[in-house]
Amino acid sequence: MTALVEPRAAPLLRPARPSQAWLLPTMLLLPSLAWITFFFLAPLILMCWRSLASEGFSLETYSVLFTSPLFTKVMITTVKTAGIATVFALLLAYPLAYVLTISGGKMRALILVFVLIPYWVDIIVRSFSWLILLGDNGMVNKALMGLGIIGMPLQLLYNPFSVLLAMVQILLPLTTVTLFGAMLRIDRTLITAAKIHGASGWQAFRTVFFPLSLPGVYGAGLLVFVLALGFYVTPALLGSPRETMIAQTIMVEASQLLDWPQASAAGAVLLIITTSIAALYNRYFSLDRLWGGSDN
Amino acid sequence: MTELAAAAMANGAQLRLRQLTKAFGATKAVDQISLDVPAGAFVSLLGPSGSGKTTTLNLIAGFLTPDSGDILLDEHSIADVPPHKRNIGMVFQSYSLFPHMTVGENVGFPLRMRTRLSRQDARRRIDEMLALVQLSHLGDRYPRQLSGGQQQRVAMARALVSHPRLLLMDEPLGALDKKLREQMQIEIKRIHRNVGTTVIYVTHDQTEALTMSDLVVVMHQARVAQVGTPRALYEAPANLFVADFLGDSNLLTATIAQVRGDELAVEIGSGERIHATRSAAAASQGSDAVVLIRPEDISVTATGERTDGRDVLAGTIRDISYHGDTFKLDVAVGADVLKVRVARERGAGMERGDRVFLTWRSSAVRLLPAGDRPGDAGNQGEP
Repeated sequence: MTALVEPRAAPLLRPARPSQAWLLPTMLLLPSLAWITFFFLAPLILMCWRSLASEGFSLETYSVLFTSPLFTKVMITTVKTAGIATVFALLLAYPLAYVLTISGGKMRALILVFVLIPYWVDIIVRSFSWLILLGDNGMVNKALMGLGIIGMPLQLLYNPFSVLLAMVQILLPLTTVTLFGAMLRIDRTLITAAKIHGASGWQAFRTVFFPLSLPGVYGAGLLVFVLALGFYVTPALLGSPRETMIAQTIMVEASQLLDWPQASAAGAVLLIITTSIAALYNRYFSLDRLWGGSDN
Repeated sequence: MTELAAAAMANGAQLRLRQLTKAFGATKAVDQISLDVPAGAFVSLLGPSGSGKTTTLNLIAGFLTPDSGDILLDEHSIADVPPHKRNIGMVFQSYSLFPHMTVGENVGFPLRMRTRLSRQDARRRIDEMLALVQLSHLGDRYPRQLSGGQQQRVAMARALVSHPRLLLMDEPLGALDKKLREQMQIEIKRIHRNVGTTVIYVTHDQTEALTMSDLVVVMHQARVAQVGTPRALYEAPANLFVADFLGDSNLLTATIAQVRGDELAVEIGSGERIHATRSAAAASQGSDAVVLIRPEDISVTATGERTDGRDVLAGTIRDISYHGDTFKLDVAVGADVLKVRVARERGAGMERGDRVFLTWRSSAVRLLPAGDRPGDAGNQGEP
């Protein structure tokens, strides 16, 4: 049957010959591929190359890095700060995302606007506004002193508290939106099914909604943690030298000490950490979920 | 099986709907519906989409609150009881199994929520249920590892495990292919006989409703069009909508020419007179009516001989189509076109344009009240 029909249909349908099949996709991808190659991949490779081949080919820069107590300390501070900021961002974003999920139409649009407005404000502006709020003559201290609760301004700035406060605030919109996306994909009839089979609202949440939202929580956590690892402006503006994070160290090494190989090595280490976190996540939860792929 | 036997003896609950009404904005989804469902009965809500059957089911489940009216379960009003305290089982169209739980955990869910059974007792109940739906070997699998039919069985087991006295089923076989659907129909009936729970079964598939149910509730435009046994609905439809919605039908507009007791003579479009039996419809001479003749009640003869108790009309075959077991004919009789079904040997010799005689028992012709012409809702519920 097919053998009879095909010869006649072929010229009409003009199926892409195997040699042409790749042509169109390639042409469509070319502009973005070129962009990524020149402005992303090439600098990255250059950076890695520099860290290895400053004077001949050696791992010198890396051994300097890992034996330096300063680098180790900065790395620990970075991971710790990013981790704590991620946990707090998740804790604050989860209820917000849940309310977004269960509310409808206008209410949802309104909340989303309030979530996203700070997201559109520049990160430097947001960090800077905390200076105004938390400084010795800032609004918080002035208010507390005005009310007679304290006699001396509290030291609210240049400590882990101020850095974390600002980081969580900056990360919150992205966390909320990512969680919201994940929660939207949970089939709501499952909650209905839980309720008709004896679960109260709280039980249905605990036994069905919450477990099903966990992959979304991990996904959002990963995204936010990786972002938080690279924070520069916020700890620089609001932290003391004790809160120095890895991005600041790289910056100092590159722009003040002009030690490019060393800066490159630190950058490469940060890159390896973030990619391995993403790979690890992908291994267990599949990255597809983050951009709306299927669960199965 | 002792517990199952006990459940079967305990029977299902009696359900009464009293003037139930629910509107969404300006549209009434359910309009003054009253219904008595006997304990242990298998009752189908049948109707085209938008007829209010799913809304009715959601009101009984408690997912929606009625605007007015009452729902009585064993004579107790449950209109204000939240869904999780109604002790109702439910099977959803998409099954809605919990994807993060194994089959066993899914089935055990209502027990965890509703009872304080020990782990062992719960385990025994779950095993019993899985045996009932013939899935004992799959307790440790996850829902996504099962076929559609198997997921359907798990959904049944979960809905029945806590021995609810009422089971709601929302188009449960809609997602399955025809073969599997027929198999599951038999399966569901077997399980129903076993557990004796009252079942409310929503479907838009008339075959499903007719073959499975003790009672069928035909719904049309947010109201109940007719309630009855499958046979009563098919053989004695109360109105045009039910006559048209269930099965194939010939509906001819007619004028009542003569009334003699229960015997009526009506004049159809072609001017011919045919006989009919009186139904619930009031009939007075000269008034308009519609007569229903089912295609399978009509037989085709070559000679126009008249016999006692039968009517004969002459016509021309307008169209003929082959359906495997039968041929379907469209026969023009005057201005009307009648649908006729003939056996395959008989139809093989027929051709378009042939002159034929149609004959039927006069008792097979039913008189229906005119007005409320079908076509507004028609057969849009057909899959």
